[in-house]
Amino acid sequence: MNTNYMFLGGVAIIVVAIISTTFFSGNKDNSQLTSNSQAKIAIQNENKSTPRASSALEQMRAVSKDDHIRGDFNAPVKIIEYSDSECPFCKRFHATLQQIMSEYNETGNVTWVYRHFPITQLHAKAFNEALAMECASALGGNDKFWAYTDRLYEITPANNGLDPIELNNIAQYVGLDMKKFKTCLASKEYEQRITNDSQNAIATGGQGTPWSIIVAQNGKKYKLSGAQPYTAVKQLVEFALQEK
Amino acid sequence: MNNIFTQILRRPPYLVISIVTSLIIFVFLVWLPNLRLIVTVLTSDTTLVQRLKFPISLLGSIITNFSILSATYTIAIAMLFGINITMIIFFLKRRLKNIRQTGVTIGFLGLISGIFGIGCTACGSFLLLTLLTWLGAGTLIKLLPLQGGEFGILGIFLLLLSIYLTARQINKPITCKI
Repeated sequence: MNTNYMFLGGVAIIVVAIISTTFFSGNKDNSQLTSNSQAKIAIQNENKSTPRASSALEQMRAVSKDDHIRGDFNAPVKIIEYSDSECPFCKRFHATLQQIMSEYNETGNVTWVYRHFPITQLHAKAFNEALAMECASALGGNDKFWAYTDRLYEITPANNGLDPIELNNIAQYVGLDMKKFKTCLASKEYEQRITNDSQNAIATGGQGTPWSIIVAQNGKKYKLSGAQPYTAVKQLVEFALQEK
Repeated sequence: MNNIFTQILRRPPYLVISIVTSLIIFVFLVWLPNLRLIVTVLTSDTTLVQRLKFPISLLGSIITNFSILSATYTIAIAMLFGINITMIIFFLKRRLKNIRQTGVTIGFLGLISGIFGIGCTACGSFLLLTLLTWLGAGTLIKLLPLQGGEFGILGIFLLLLSIYLTARQINKPITCKI
C-alpha cells in the first residue's frame, strides 16, 4: 500500500479521535491547582476513567442555599456557571449573564449560580481572587459576594492582569471590614470550597472556562461551553423554560 | 501560481465548492465546543424555527468566544481549507491516475493543527489541554506564549504549503518520463 494512503488513514483516525473527544470527553483534569491537597485531588482525577458526557452532567452538585445565588432560588431555570476570574472569556460572559438576569429579573424565571473554576495553569492569580470573593461572602453575605464579584470582573484586565492590591481596594469599595477581610484572605480558609467547586466542574465535564450547566425545572441539564453570545444564552434559557 | 488560482476560481462550480467548503469548516470550528448541545436542540420536540435559532445564534461566538488572533486564524483556516479542497478536486479530475497525496495530507494536518488552536480559545478549553493532560503534560501549556494559538498559526502554514504543493502538481505537464 502506498505510504501516503497509510498516512491519510492515520490522519483520519486522528480526526475521528478529535471528534470523539469533543462528544464524549468527561472529567479529565484541566486545572493544575495550587496547594498540595489540591494537587492530590488533581492526581486522583487523572486516574479516574472518563465518563460519558451525559453521566458526567449528573455529577453536578445540587444547588443549595450555600451556593452563591443571584435571583430566585426556586426559579424554573438555573444557570450554574463555573468561572475563572482571570479568564477574558469569563469576563465577557459575566456581562452576558448580568444582561440575562436583568432581562429575567421581573419574571423570576432564571437563577444564576456562581461556582469557582480557576485554571491556575493559565491564570496563577485566579485562585487567590476566588478566595477574596469567598471572604466577601463570609463577611457580608450573598449581596456582598455579588457586589465584590461584579466589581472584580469589571476592573480586571484579565489574563492575570489584576494587581493583587486591587483585592483590598475592591473590599473597601463594596464596604467590607478591611481588617477582617485581610485576615480572612491571609488565612486561606475557603481554599477547600474553591477546590470542591473546581473538582465538581471537572466531574461534570468542564474542560475550560466559562463552563455552564443550564438546569430546567424538570431537572434536564444542558451544558454550555465558552462565552457564548447573549442571544444564544437567551435561546437556551427559553428552550429550558419549555421543559416542565 | 496566480494563473492557477484564477483559472480554477473563475469557474463557478469550483468557486461554489470553495465557498461552501469554507463555510462548512467555519461553522464546524465555531460550533465545535457545543456540538452535543446543538444535536440535543436540533433533535428536540420544539418548532423548527426554535430549533434553528439556537445554532444560528451560536455563530455569534466568533466575536464573544474567540480572541482577535484566534478569530483571524479560524477564518483564515476555513478559507484556505476551502481553496485547498477545490484545488485538490480540480487536480484529481485532471489527473486521476497520477494522484500524489502529499498536498492532501498536509492540508488535513493543517486543519487538525488549526482545530487544536481553536480549542484553546476558551481559556484552555478542551482539545489541546485535554490531550496534554492525558499525556501527563498539562503544565506544558504554560510554555506556549500563545497558550495553544501556535497550532492555529501552524495550521495556516500547513494549508498554505498544501495549496502550494497542489498548485505545483497541477502545473506539472502530463508527460511520460524516460
